[in-house]
Amino acid sequence: MILTLAIFCECLSADEANFVVNAVDSVQPRMVKVYGAAAGRVEGYATGIIVSDSGRILTTQGVFLDGSQIRVVTPDGESHIASVLRRDREHQLALLQISAQTPDFFDIKPDDVGQKGDWVVAVCNAFKVADKQEPLSVTLGVISLKTSIEAKLNRRDVAYRGDLVLIDQITSNPGAAGGAVVTTEGKLVGVIGKIINSSETNTRLNYAVPNSVLAAFLSNEKPASLAAKSAVKEAVNLGIKLFSHGGRNSPAYIDRVKRGSPAHKAKLRSDDLLISLAGEKIGNVKDYELAIENLVPGQDAIIVVKRGTELLRLSIVPAAKE
Amino acid sequence: MKLQILVFVIATTFSVPSFSQTTPVDQAKVFEAMSLTSRAFRNAVQQIRPSLVTIESFGGVSAIQGRIGGIRKQGEGNTTGVLISDEGHIITSSFNFIQSPPVITVITGDGERRVAKILGKDETRKICLLKIERFDGIVVPEFVNEETIKVGQWAVSVGVGYGDTNSAISTGIISAKNRIGGRAIQTDANISPANYGGPLLDIEGKLMGICVPMNPQSQAVGAGVEWYDSGIGFAIPISSLDDVIARLKQGENISPAFLGVRTEPNKSGKGIRVAEVIAGTAAADAEMGHRDVILKINDQPVDDLMALRRILNRFEAGTEIKLEFESHLDEETKSATVVLGKPPAPKAEDSPMEPPKIR
Repeated sequence: MILTLAIFCECLSADEANFVVNAVDSVQPRMVKVYGAAAGRVEGYATGIIVSDSGRILTTQGVFLDGSQIRVVTPDGESHIASVLRRDREHQLALLQISAQTPDFFDIKPDDVGQKGDWVVAVCNAFKVADKQEPLSVTLGVISLKTSIEAKLNRRDVAYRGDLVLIDQITSNPGAAGGAVVTTEGKLVGVIGKIINSSETNTRLNYAVPNSVLAAFLSNEKPASLAAKSAVKEAVNLGIKLFSHGGRNSPAYIDRVKRGSPAHKAKLRSDDLLISLAGEKIGNVKDYELAIENLVPGQDAIIVVKRGTELLRLSIVPAAKE
Repeated sequence: MKLQILVFVIATTFSVPSFSQTTPVDQAKVFEAMSLTSRAFRNAVQQIRPSLVTIESFGGVSAIQGRIGGIRKQGEGNTTGVLISDEGHIITSSFNFIQSPPVITVITGDGERRVAKILGKDETRKICLLKIERFDGIVVPEFVNEETIKVGQWAVSVGVGYGDTNSAISTGIISAKNRIGGRAIQTDANISPANYGGPLLDIEGKLMGICVPMNPQSQAVGAGVEWYDSGIGFAIPISSLDDVIARLKQGENISPAFLGVRTEPNKSGKGIRVAEVIAGTAAADAEMGHRDVILKINDQPVDDLMALRRILNRFEAGTEIKLEFESHLDEETKSATVVLGKPPAPKAEDSPMEPPKIR
């Protein structure tokens, strides 16, 4: 107890002491710099956090880990050879092992930390500004939104799928991924994710992968979203044929409705524009093709169409595809 | 037992400041201030919530082809708007309709989806007015009088563009006022396709402006998007725009002013030299010619390209101006009153929406 007290006294004794300073002081000893192989335009470095006292490092997954050697530089400036223990392409995470004792570490718990509007501190080695024992760069921002979105990656890698904590400081820079996002009290909110472009906005996202996802990865649990995805689905038939002249990106106008089909029973007509199906917006033909994959035969769904200037909300019961 | 220890640690942690050189009051104040601002941000978003709408577009030009006029297509996601009248007028950014979607719907705060139509656009401010059928329960936000906005005060940008029905926020301060021909306020809160058309709020949740992409160097509809993560963002204060909004309600489109000259510095004195006059423009109407020197517009001296741009930025297409220029033939100062026209369509090679490449 006395020891704990002593540490805190030291932290708070500086004149300018504030909660951000304390948070940063407590986080820096638990951060590492990760160096791998640069491949073409993909940077060969990242940030990482220490997650055990036995040299386990959580960082971002990427081709930079595929080189002949991965080095981890601990806060004391020492360089260690690291091996990859595990990777998760769904959430873009990797677990590394170095042979060193690491007494300062983040004890990852699946806690939901922070809410929209809370101040958060991002600690990372963007653009590898920090070298050897130099502390990492720290930026302040707020939590923009806690959400679950599918986003496509900047390059050819697979998409990130799952929960995200969007933040408003800019972390979508080379080398930032794997950095820590903490509250002003130093509690871990999540780990900075890899650079991804949101297909919704055509902009880069600044975000953290939340504790729940990190904890599941570390305990080697299969994330719930993966389990749900792998379930075999029965194909459905609605009896709708869309206008297809403009390709899959054109609006989803109904060309023909098959007599006796679910669409016919739902009173859909030619020239209706599909607006949404089972809660999913149908912006184009492609959206429709994706949305019907989630329907279950016999289970009614709400379909919204625009007919003339009116929006109609109809119930449709999908049939099994023959 | 473990819990008890934890409680003890927390208790000692909080009592620690009394042992340190910093007074406990300072520490408590710092913590209180930080958590208060977070609560205020959340409260601000809560205030605007009933007036916020999610805009959905269906189809449009670049849904078929990837680019229009060299502008990279906007994201596939929904965009943001704000209800500003009891009759169902929604203000948003014209950026959200680059693709000219034939069908637009909005989801209002009550969760209902409604068909919307575009009434008018103001291309000088990149704002746009939509109309939905009026319904009971429309909440119009409180506008902040532009005059009272101060550089350095808190600003919160709000938008639903990330694809969640919940809005995302970004916070910062007001960085400057009277930008882009006096039309915009500047902020370091993130302004991006995720919140174009959405509100920029003060700390109490009152509406300071509508988030838009802006760049003083270019009037292309996508210009300014390249600054989405630069700390430079713009919003259009609408408290003093009754006149503009009334015109948009009438279905009017407001275009930037175009003089119709290519210029070069005048090495031999005051003013700016005309390198080329484009046929069919205001400059041609004034009978200006190659090598003439523009001296004044509406009695304001035009000393360089920046000054010319600054002055023209304050006008819109259709404005009558007084031009003073020196003829290169007889060196006499001539004066002409002409009506400014619209700029030609942007060139194909311009690509103002491309995000910066960092390597």
